[in-house]
Amino acid sequence: MSDAAAEPIDPTLPPAAYARMAQVLRAGLYASLLLLIGALVAYLLIHPSVMSAQAIASNPILQFLSLSGLATGLAAGDPAAYLTLGLLVLVATPILRVASGFYYFRRGGERTLTAITFTVIVLLLLGLLVIGPLVR
Amino acid sequence: MGSHARGAARTSSAFSHAAAVPNVDLGLLVILLVLLSVTAGLVGSLSGLGGGVVVIPALVVLFGVPIPEAIGTGAITILATSTTTGAAYIRDRLSDLRIGMFLEIATVPGAILGATATVFLARASLTDALLVALGIVLLAIIPGSLSRWNEETPRPSTPDARSRALRLSGWYVDRATGRTVTYQAAETSPALGVMFGAGLVSGMFGIGGGVFKVLALERYLGLPMKVATATSNFMIGVTACAGAGILFAAGYVNPLLAAPVAVGTAAGAYVGSQVLPGLRNRTVRWIFIPVVAALAIETILRGLGLP
Repeated sequence: MSDAAAEPIDPTLPPAAYARMAQVLRAGLYASLLLLIGALVAYLLIHPSVMSAQAIASNPILQFLSLSGLATGLAAGDPAAYLTLGLLVLVATPILRVASGFYYFRRGGERTLTAITFTVIVLLLLGLLVIGPLVR
Repeated sequence: MGSHARGAARTSSAFSHAAAVPNVDLGLLVILLVLLSVTAGLVGSLSGLGGGVVVIPALVVLFGVPIPEAIGTGAITILATSTTTGAAYIRDRLSDLRIGMFLEIATVPGAILGATATVFLARASLTDALLVALGIVLLAIIPGSLSRWNEETPRPSTPDARSRALRLSGWYVDRATGRTVTYQAAETSPALGVMFGAGLVSGMFGIGGGVFKVLALERYLGLPMKVATATSNFMIGVTACAGAGILFAAGYVNPLLAAPVAVGTAAGAYVGSQVLPGLRNRTVRWIFIPVVAALAIETILRGLGLP
């Protein structure tokens, strides 16, 4: 299968698709890390007396897992709400990655792969927005 | 005590383990978690397994984190690893996005089912038995991986009709040898089956399921090891997203654990992604197989309740 003289097979996705997906990944990663680091530092400053056993035994973001709760927490400047947002951005980044694939497959007129990527996006959103809250 | 006190306790003492690390200041805990996760990110990206293989048992054994929360943190760890290394692998065109996205139609439903099952099984105290089963499965696949120890390039394979129709093929330039390596996916049906299982395991245990993904990509589709590893890493992020989304929304991701772990893992994974493209396949295997064995043994011990 390997041959130094062989002409490479044409890439099945354009180089722009690779560049775009790398950009999406980097943007999502940087945004989530920025939020997580900033919010974690703020949390440590605001809660200097919290010990590890207490931090492990309870989850400070449960009240921010609804959209209304998150919006209220963000507006109030609660670091735990920003930690929640950072995690949400990290979780959502792969969805954007699949969305990029959907865009390029659709533009290339590839119906089967367009349908596959669309289905994957729907399933990912279903898990995050419907199944997770249902089993909470 | 602000929001920390307001947050209802999700954890249950029925699932928590004794901690090796004493009750320390939260700031010190964060530093320890960052150090742990830098190592996890490095190993995870080099092996294609994701950092969860190190983070999950360490959280349980060293820090006394309950299993469901450790699994939730592991899923976030995988996301950070895959997102970090994914950008580098995609830039180097080692990841085959076409094949990866095709196979996600199997991994994502598996992960959704697995994560949902974890939530219910944790409440029913059946997690330990599943951990033992996972460890046995992981140990069983090691001989198969060793049998192809000397192969640096993919075996000639006959693509099936689906592979030809969807043009599941590609090429890359191997930095170590300077050669252009071409490939065409072969047996897509068994690969889809293994991928569903990989998704199930990933969602259920918070690990990347890279063991199974690399197996399917290399064994059934006949992809080169480096492409299999990089494509697995790309897929792990999307699979983990499905599982992490459910665990996050269900309240099993504690950001005071997940935030330092995600940051540390991303740093370790970045270093790993810079090293992988220059390694020969055999080097990757030397890293890959011991990690699988360690994961399997650790999983069984945890399932049996042994230290």
